[in-house]
Amino acid sequence: MGCLIIILPTAVLGLYMAWNIGANDVANSMGCAVGSKSISIKWAVIAAGICEFAGSVLVGAHVTDTVRKGIVDPMTIASLPGLGPAEAPALLLVGMAAALLAAAVWLNVATWMGMPVSTSHSIVGAVAGYGIIAAGWSAVHWGKMAMIVASWFLSPVVGGLLGYLLFKIISRLILGRERPVLAAIAVTPFIVFFSMAVVTLAIVYRGLKHLAGEGMEWLTGNGAFLVAAAVGLLAALVARVLIRRALRGKEDLPLASQLELVERVFAPLVVVASCSVAFSHGANDVANAVGPLAAIVDIAGSCTVKMQVNVPLWVLVLGGFGIVLGLATFGHRVMRTIGTRITQITPSRGVAAAIAATITVLVCTRLKLPVSTTHTLVGAVLGIGLARGLAAVNRQVTRKIFGSWVITVPAAAILAMVFFLLGRALFLESIRDALSQAARGAG
Amino acid sequence: MGLIEELFGKSPFGPLVEHTKKVHECVKLVRPLSQAFMKGDHDEIHRLQDEVSKLEYEADLIKHEIREQLPRRYFMPVDREELENFLRCQDKIADSVEDFAVILFIRKTEMHPDLKDDFAQFVEQILKVSNTLTDAAVELQTLAETSFGGAEATSVLDRIAGLGEQEWNADRMQRRLGRKIYSLEADLDPVTIMFYDKMLQALGHVANEAENTGDLLRAMILKG
Repeated sequence: MGCLIIILPTAVLGLYMAWNIGANDVANSMGCAVGSKSISIKWAVIAAGICEFAGSVLVGAHVTDTVRKGIVDPMTIASLPGLGPAEAPALLLVGMAAALLAAAVWLNVATWMGMPVSTSHSIVGAVAGYGIIAAGWSAVHWGKMAMIVASWFLSPVVGGLLGYLLFKIISRLILGRERPVLAAIAVTPFIVFFSMAVVTLAIVYRGLKHLAGEGMEWLTGNGAFLVAAAVGLLAALVARVLIRRALRGKEDLPLASQLELVERVFAPLVVVASCSVAFSHGANDVANAVGPLAAIVDIAGSCTVKMQVNVPLWVLVLGGFGIVLGLATFGHRVMRTIGTRITQITPSRGVAAAIAATITVLVCTRLKLPVSTTHTLVGAVLGIGLARGLAAVNRQVTRKIFGSWVITVPAAAILAMVFFLLGRALFLESIRDALSQAARGAG
Repeated sequence: MGLIEELFGKSPFGPLVEHTKKVHECVKLVRPLSQAFMKGDHDEIHRLQDEVSKLEYEADLIKHEIREQLPRRYFMPVDREELENFLRCQDKIADSVEDFAVILFIRKTEMHPDLKDDFAQFVEQILKVSNTLTDAAVELQTLAETSFGGAEATSVLDRIAGLGEQEWNADRMQRRLGRKIYSLEADLDPVTIMFYDKMLQALGHVANEAENTGDLLRAMILKG
């Protein structure tokens, strides 16, 4: 029962982190849909809740691994000289709890200072921080750390590049035509195909690992590409019929009204694409928030340090639940603010931004790189701005984001160091005793 | 304030089109002003001059509003300096119309009958130039929707291309009218000649500034 004393507070911390994300961050992922008035605030909150929850539960396990063992190798700590039995797992427990607490505190401090800090980044910094104190500089996988930090730079840049390209394609093939309505009838089904395939791939490709049981493996490997293509094709066919019905015979209207009609065709697509951003967000950011919790639960449960663990489903569910809670308490308000603030985004721009962000975050999740969905989305929006798609974009935001990277890793790391030292001094013995008792009980 | 909200500024293109329309409303008063002048209806000139001045003031307000909502840190699909120049230039059109109205208002002058036809033609040409510019400039918002490319940009650029020739025609008419005025110098007193000259200059400016505004619009569309 001793372990419950450790698990419970950390579970509360994990829940708090997830709540924080739900309250502040989630609204961003639906921003393109809400800003372009393609979905009402109420439905955006509901859709975001479902997609975030699904994302964290279905795909979350991938990224959790990185936080749990990618940055600081648990084995390095386990093989520290002069540790008693049960002392290594106890050390890890204290470390992960310290990291979680440090990330939570830093998030609050940063938000209070008005800095756009990502949960993922805070967690990564905090874990590295405790690793340095627990087992020295060499305990941290600096190569992996470098890769992760590089991915923070790369993800907005790649998001921006994709956003630029996607919007250029949409504007070249549809908006820039003499009769956008005719062009939309011809081209939009292809865009629907591409978007739906990407969204499906985001969900299916190894994502359903948790739920896909026996005989479902075909769904999770390369078969996913086939499934995605099939879903895309189906959606494209349906879209073709609907778009034809909506747009046929409208090609002689004045250009401005034609453009308005075409934008309306993009509205359902931007909702779907934004939902997939929310899904990716759940998969990446939320999973990071509960990553330390997954490590703690595993250690407390088995009383040993293992490399390969299954992330307990309930941990991911807890993360998803925290998000929904955050949405329910503050999400509505934040979503409304976003809806009234970002009025200049239209559905066609929203689709380009959301798809670009989805692809980028998806690839990073696959590569087990904890990136920030919001920062990637910002990159994608800036890319569309560069493609002359937006009337006024604030480029100072990039400086703010950059600043938040530079400061988050050291700040979260130092906080984690302090909490780790405190935790080790105050709780290590009692935790060690509780763990060895539990081990004896189990033995 | 969240990152995403902070990322987006207000679009200047809606208010810019409003400014274009306001300026055009101003220019449209040139015709009734000229007619009242040729009829010698000074009360009407007074009334119209007030109206022009009111419209010019309203255009000014829109201009300030646009400038205020364009803090330096935003980047736009058009060059900010060109946008400001465009706005300033477009505003000068209204200023010139106001000058014209004021000139008519401050001195009761009669139009020499020999000049009336040429003058009416010249006025029509000025309105033509302004119309062409307005047709192109009100498309600014649609241009922003199509990201300043494609068929829409081409059609607006074509319209602007016509501006130069129309303005050149206006210039020619102004010269002809000027020569005619001086050919009548034996009949006219010097102050009246001065008055005519000032009036022509003000009208000529309307066409000139319209052409310049068109050039800046072109630059905005072409520059990435």
